[in-house]
Amino acid sequence: MKHRLPLVVAVAILAVAVPASTASARTTISMSGSTSVAPLAAKLAKGYLKAHPGAATFRLAQGGSDVGVADVAAGRVTIGNSSRDPKGTDPGGLVWSRIARDAICIATNSSNPVSGLTQAQVQAIFSGSVRDWSQVPGSPKSGPIDLVVRTAASGTQDAFQKIFMGSAKVSSSAAQKASNGLVAQSIKSDPNAVGYVSLAFTKGLNDARYKGVACNLRNAKSGQYEGVRNFWMVTRGRPTGGALKFIRWIQRSKAAHAITATGWVPIRG
Amino acid sequence: MTGPVSPATEPNRSDRRAELMLGALASVVLVLIAGMLVFVLTKAWPSFSHNGLAWFGSGGNVDDQLIDIFNSPANPDKYEYTLHAWPLLYATALVTVGAVAIGLSFALFAAIFIVEFAPDRLRAVLEPVVRLLAAVPSVIYGLIGILVLVPFVGNHLIGTETKKSVAYVVQLSGNSMLVAVVILTVMITPIMIALIVDALRAVPGSWTEGAHALGANRWRVVWTIAVRAARPAIVGACVLATARALGEAIMLSMVSGSVGFAPNPLDGLTFFVEPMRPLAATIVDNAEGLSVKPLGQTLYAFAAVLLVSSLFLSLGAWAVRQPMKRYGVRP
Repeated sequence: MKHRLPLVVAVAILAVAVPASTASARTTISMSGSTSVAPLAAKLAKGYLKAHPGAATFRLAQGGSDVGVADVAAGRVTIGNSSRDPKGTDPGGLVWSRIARDAICIATNSSNPVSGLTQAQVQAIFSGSVRDWSQVPGSPKSGPIDLVVRTAASGTQDAFQKIFMGSAKVSSSAAQKASNGLVAQSIKSDPNAVGYVSLAFTKGLNDARYKGVACNLRNAKSGQYEGVRNFWMVTRGRPTGGALKFIRWIQRSKAAHAITATGWVPIRG
Repeated sequence: MTGPVSPATEPNRSDRRAELMLGALASVVLVLIAGMLVFVLTKAWPSFSHNGLAWFGSGGNVDDQLIDIFNSPANPDKYEYTLHAWPLLYATALVTVGAVAIGLSFALFAAIFIVEFAPDRLRAVLEPVVRLLAAVPSVIYGLIGILVLVPFVGNHLIGTETKKSVAYVVQLSGNSMLVAVVILTVMITPIMIALIVDALRAVPGSWTEGAHALGANRWRVVWTIAVRAARPAIVGACVLATARALGEAIMLSMVSGSVGFAPNPLDGLTFFVEPMRPLAATIVDNAEGLSVKPLGQTLYAFAAVLLVSSLFLSLGAWAVRQPMKRYGVRP
């Protein structure tokens, strides 16, 4: 019973296959952290090895943004992935390199095609001052609104609070889920639910327009959609060696930008 | 009893060696448990010492308190620790007691059926199936819960009027105590059935035969002789089931509602479909924030409560079993 507790952070280790062409000792780049960044990091690692065969060996684990930051600060990994911005309680000496931007969509059940919400409406709904769908213009439903949010430690929660809520507080009666996938599943199975997920998780859900702009990749790239947050790769001190080359490649090469652009917004520069 | 056992006049050297080795292994387990307890309690101490007995009380919203703890300032002197964990403790007790109570009554009769009344061919199927069920990983039950039971309860059992009537206090989406208790019962009952079956089989045949000879029917014999004699084992089965229920985290985190709400029995039938979140599930849900020191210490405090309550559980069961042992069979 007790021994199950450390396993709670289901750490999925994804080994990226490396062509065994070079016999020399390769640099190993290990990463852990945000579940939102993980799919992108895996794609980038694969692309990097295609561009520079045998340049490095990758190990990618997940666990959440805070886990990534803690791991890299303790020297357990080369790079910590984070989907939240740096904050005051983070350990000192960390360098944050921005690798991409990601859209957060407000999603409802597909039987409740809410077309669009203003920031004031999002704040009213998620803070609990509007509690019935009949009070939400554009919703064909009536009935209490079920809020689905993320736990406090989530990077997505952090971004949602900063971008959408501002100083308003998310209602404490909201159900707090531990991952993007669980939020999406809750919204799928509950016609009255509303929540927010990373763009990559919106399949099968209805995305509401935010401030009149649809939540999709094109609008996120053009900068019209405002619900966009940063993805970071965090290193202890300035990145060096293999990690430096990898992060530079992500930020500067055309190939990396093309990979990122399949689902996220690349960073120029 | 058959003939006398070969007399051991002097202690055999290899026996002696085995005794030492096994003794050392057993002591390692003891040291591990003690070490774990000390470790968890040390980690948890700041959370308890800042709150005192209020830690166990109610007051404020426990989720808001956890968020404040997570957002503590960087300065260790200003760490936030305020926590009133009552809704989580209450939720843990509710699901555990609910599931064990339902599971016990079900398991007892199922075990009696298997041992005493089932036709041989049915028994040959039933027993392996029960043991197989006992080994299903909890995450599978959790998946069945969120994919099947939670939507069913949310969309068919709870009416819109009911949802509206409590909308200002709590949202009813199907993630509920009902689903949690039902799945937990399904999870722990097979273990109880297996243990009780073994105990009923261990009742000496001469006892039940004697009762039969006195003219008692099968049911009376089972109920008054076999079940009575198996009571220590039944208590043991309850303890194991309770321990599993207390520590169940993943499944409960998936189905129980993910909100630190204390279901109110005064709400009538709605009480059963109100969401809640037990201690172990709270640890899972917040594990992402373990690196924030005060939150980590708070989660260790939850772990300490679970650890200490399972210790007391074992002690309590030992105490309860003492008077029963005189006429009982050992589990």
